[in-house]
Amino acid sequence: MKQVTFVLFLILAVCAGAYAQIVNRETYLKEFEKRVAFVTSVYDTLQTPGYYQIAVRYTHNKEIAVADRMFKELLRDPRGDMFWMIPSIGAYLVGKDKMSAETKAVVRNAWKTYAPYRGDTENHWCMYYSALFLAAEQFPNLPGSEWYNGKSSDENRQEAKEYLIHWMKITTTIGQGEFDSPDYFPEYAMPMILLSHFAEDPEMKTRGTMMTDFLFADFAVEHLEGQYIGGYSRIYQPAVYKPLLSPASAFAYLYFGTGEPTNSGWIVLPALSTYRLPEVIYNIAVDRSKTYIHKERKRVRNVIRFGSEKNPPVYKYSYVTKDYGIGSLQGGILQPIQQHTWGVRYLYGRPYTTIFGLHPYWSGWEVGMFFPEEVKTLIADVVASKGTYNNPDKWTGGSPFERTFQHKNTLIVLYDIKPGTTTEHIDGFFPRNLEERIVDPSGWIICKAGDTYVGWYPLQEHEWKEELETPSNSLNDIGRPQLERVKEMGNWRLRSYKLQNGYVIEVRSKDEIGSFDRFKSELRSHVPKATLTPGSVSVRYGTLGGDKMNFAFPEKRTLNGKEIDLSKTRLFDGPFLNAAVGSEKLTITYKTKKLILDFKAVKVIE
Amino acid sequence: MKSIFSLLFAGLLIVVVPAELFSQVSTVYASVLSTKLFVVGAANPETGLYYQRSSEDTVWHHMGAKNIREFGVAVHTPSRGQLICLASGNGVHMTTDGGSTWRITTGWQITEVLAVTIDDANPNFMLCGTPYGVFRTLDRGTTWVECNNGIAQKFTSSVIIDHSNSSILYCSTEDGVYRSQNRGDTWKRTGLNVGGVRVVVQSPKDPDVLIAGTDDDGIYVTRNGGRYWEKSEAGLDHLTFFTITFDPVNPKILYAGGYMTGVYKSIDGGVSWTRKNVGLSNLNLHSIAVDPTNSNRVFAGTQWGGVFRSDDGGDTWRNAGLSGSQVWQITVQPF
Repeated sequence: MKQVTFVLFLILAVCAGAYAQIVNRETYLKEFEKRVAFVTSVYDTLQTPGYYQIAVRYTHNKEIAVADRMFKELLRDPRGDMFWMIPSIGAYLVGKDKMSAETKAVVRNAWKTYAPYRGDTENHWCMYYSALFLAAEQFPNLPGSEWYNGKSSDENRQEAKEYLIHWMKITTTIGQGEFDSPDYFPEYAMPMILLSHFAEDPEMKTRGTMMTDFLFADFAVEHLEGQYIGGYSRIYQPAVYKPLLSPASAFAYLYFGTGEPTNSGWIVLPALSTYRLPEVIYNIAVDRSKTYIHKERKRVRNVIRFGSEKNPPVYKYSYVTKDYGIGSLQGGILQPIQQHTWGVRYLYGRPYTTIFGLHPYWSGWEVGMFFPEEVKTLIADVVASKGTYNNPDKWTGGSPFERTFQHKNTLIVLYDIKPGTTTEHIDGFFPRNLEERIVDPSGWIICKAGDTYVGWYPLQEHEWKEELETPSNSLNDIGRPQLERVKEMGNWRLRSYKLQNGYVIEVRSKDEIGSFDRFKSELRSHVPKATLTPGSVSVRYGTLGGDKMNFAFPEKRTLNGKEIDLSKTRLFDGPFLNAAVGSEKLTITYKTKKLILDFKAVKVIE
Repeated sequence: MKSIFSLLFAGLLIVVVPAELFSQVSTVYASVLSTKLFVVGAANPETGLYYQRSSEDTVWHHMGAKNIREFGVAVHTPSRGQLICLASGNGVHMTTDGGSTWRITTGWQITEVLAVTIDDANPNFMLCGTPYGVFRTLDRGTTWVECNNGIAQKFTSSVIIDHSNSSILYCSTEDGVYRSQNRGDTWKRTGLNVGGVRVVVQSPKDPDVLIAGTDDDGIYVTRNGGRYWEKSEAGLDHLTFFTITFDPVNPKILYAGGYMTGVYKSIDGGVSWTRKNVGLSNLNLHSIAVDPTNSNRVFAGTQWGGVFRSDDGGDTWRNAGLSGSQVWQITVQPF
């Protein structure tokens, strides 16, 4: 009976996830609690030791002795750096009033004897210092000899607070560095949610809540039924072509009620927390009744060599409808290794709900810009953990030879690739489950994905490759795919070997243009004109919407005769989110509701 | 009578020789950045600072924190290793009791420290080099301040405090070698007009002699404190050099290594070089050190191949442990 109930619940939950409707606050909170129950239900019976199993047992007041035993067992040999710090302090915080004195002592001792690495990326630091801050609050007034780093509780708390405030300041003035990452969203949301719930310092508690709101607002505005849409700083394979596999989608399920039900470990601690998503952000995440354009400014991760500017700007452009979203970054190297410069994502055809393209570039120069090890050996360092980096068939990564120009639901992508570059081709991903993929005599490739239609006009000759293999999907120690999959059976790769290259993308929904036949017919009468010689790559194009786009590689973008100046892009600019560069203040608006996150004053105004 | 003197002399030898041998004991420190398996957050194999109590020893012992992305090590020789600093991803770690206890002396502002050095005469004065430039402490790590005034490209991979005058400093950066005459308050670029300088070292005898190794331009030598540099080309078949070291006793002898170079040796102060790779099964070098108590004993740290050792001045090499390790720096101390 219990099993039948669970199955029924699961079916209901699946249906709820697939067809999310806007609900009022009371209903939202009730459904949220149901999702919390679903997320945590598995963990209090799992017998494999794990911090989430421990945390849920403490919270559910169930098998405390088992939780204690697991905690002590795991702390015999702590590993995982900041990926240990966050779950272990989270488990401690939810269970500290229930665990035995012996377990408490074991936890305390771990912070004395195990020295975690601080890491080398923004998410590592966010987790490291959030966990250190919370631990220093929990274990106050201890001398340096009682901490792994030789610093006292006060020193650790102060240093962690300083860094976190610094991170919040740059994020709310010039943008997040590791921005909009479907894979790394949890590494920011989790620590901020823990601060929101557990920080004793009122300022840090408020800041934790505000930053969680900020992150969710940033996600909500580029969210479509569980998918993160647009350009990203970092994404892994296979989530890049199976969007709902990304950890951010688990957060969408828990907080927006969208996507697919999951009890992913990433959302266990958030599910146990007191943080609740503000209604205004929830509404923005799920209301797709009106199409909108949203622009953002982010920043490049710290450039430590081969560049004069530490954090050059990233300009994002997203066009969002109820059926699809198309978004892009301006192109170039904006993040090492896992950049996703542009993509269309839509509702139809899970799991392959996307079409995108890239120049699969890699170089010592690229990674040397961001990592301090020797340029000559950095690629080997990177490949140890990001196995696809130097694979010419990879599906992630930016390129210095790629630039975009987007206006509404039209996108132009141009390439002027230097001869001798690591890869001398560009690729496009077309999923196998498209209803139509027509290579039209007009030159357009015309695709139908349910009610979303995508046109792709290649500017150069190309060929099609059907992908052939599907390696296993095991996970490594930190929950990432062990063998990052390069190829998926049956999907289609458009490949072009011309160095001066590009394409034009047009996306329309049935609501926007009517029938697929009309879309095809419209495309046939809109053919781009390109100049493609080394050092002179440009295209002139009249869009289906009647606009005239001229784009000359790398940076000359003209719309209806007027030059586009990307440097004027605001931190957030759209119907829902607004913030000026440097402001430290985000205004979140939904219809008549407003939420202002003022980080200068550390104050939320409703 | 003669036989009595012979016996007395023999007795003296018995007393004196063991004492000399004892004084020649040295300690080798190896800074291991990673193994090939390193992934942040994963169950990585142990890395960090290793040492051998005597260069005759074959066992490596670990000291300090593990898996902190340790790039470099500075050992304060006069304190016989009581004061040690580590350059690491987490900042500058320091022990003042020979490794029993450690403290990270830097805060969040200083990260990915690639090199650290201690003024032997005044151990309160230390420098570290990072991708964000040079930082200095004058109070043995209690406070660190940024000192990059005059440096254009801040990425700094090595730092030197002049052993004859600690007001004079050198550092190697992405746009050359810089010199300071006021303990880092201001810097001026030296006459070396090449970028991507990976390492700069100073002669143990003549402070005006410095040698620099670069990413793509080979090796350069100055004999006037950096005013003029000459490219050292004779015998060199490679261009990428991460490590150069002087024989502490005879600075005419030098060793150099880098990306797939193996070991190069010079016996004329860097004018010409000869490859010395017999027995060296990994040619991708990142560190070389000469035992100050025995110039024939040389250690070479490789990238992911552990440590190699020569007992004949580089003529032949044999594996000396830490297999699979990326050995970023080695230092041999005379105690």
